[in-house]
Amino acid sequence: MQDEREMIDALKQRDPAVLSQIFEHHADRIYRLAVSLLHDEQQADGVVQNAFLALIRHVDSFEGRASVGTWLYRVAYNDCLHRMQAQQRVADIADEEADEAMPACFVDWQNIPEDAFESAEASAEMNRAIDTLKPDMRAVFLLRDVEQLSTAETAQILGISNEAVKVRLHRARLALRERLAVYFDEWVRA
Amino acid sequence: MECQELVRYLSDFIDHNLDEELMQAAREHLATCQNCHVVLDSTQKTILLYRRRGERESMAPRRHDALFAQLTEALQNKDDQCD
Repeated sequence: MQDEREMIDALKQRDPAVLSQIFEHHADRIYRLAVSLLHDEQQADGVVQNAFLALIRHVDSFEGRASVGTWLYRVAYNDCLHRMQAQQRVADIADEEADEAMPACFVDWQNIPEDAFESAEASAEMNRAIDTLKPDMRAVFLLRDVEQLSTAETAQILGISNEAVKVRLHRARLALRERLAVYFDEWVRA
Repeated sequence: MECQELVRYLSDFIDHNLDEELMQAAREHLATCQNCHVVLDSTQKTILLYRRRGERESMAPRRHDALFAQLTEALQNKDDQCD
């Protein structure tokens, strides 16, 4: 992608090629975040649509304090939160002081064939595992570990501190690992 | 380093966010503790599995194309609209 400043300037000139670049780079990423939070492909499409329409609406006043990607993610995340609130699906967020669960399942995954990780059953278990995370933890895990954004970018998108990103990421990783470890332990024993 | 401490630092260890002294202590513990070694290995694999899956997940092509067409039109027509 070309330089952010040049990109914004080109978008202000209504350059469709730059819109295409931004769309191709960010649309699927935003879609993945929205699907994971909302569990609804149609609503996720709507989140992507709203985020990009907001960018077009505000492009002339875009100052570039955040990158375009961070800005789009932030708009999309807030849209997801509003939709979840409308469905009363937002659990209480932020519990930095909660006790940390220690790992309890120690099956060695090195002995599990790669096919088992890619099975439909394992994929369904991965869905169930990530669904057990609170939305804010799920968002942190997706942005940091799946989309590989930095701690600072993730913090900016979610409107939380860097430290809160680290705490939630740590908890999300351990919770997902534990849930999958139990599943693969049963798989090994079967 | 004890197991509990290793678990507390696990994410920072994975992300190389520990100072060298703690990194070394973690490495020494991992070399002798099979359970912690398994936890590290399976946590890294968990991250990889979700990352791989994410790379395969995308908008339906028809919806993707229709949305881009709509956005292109919105960009071109922006000056005609009263914001």
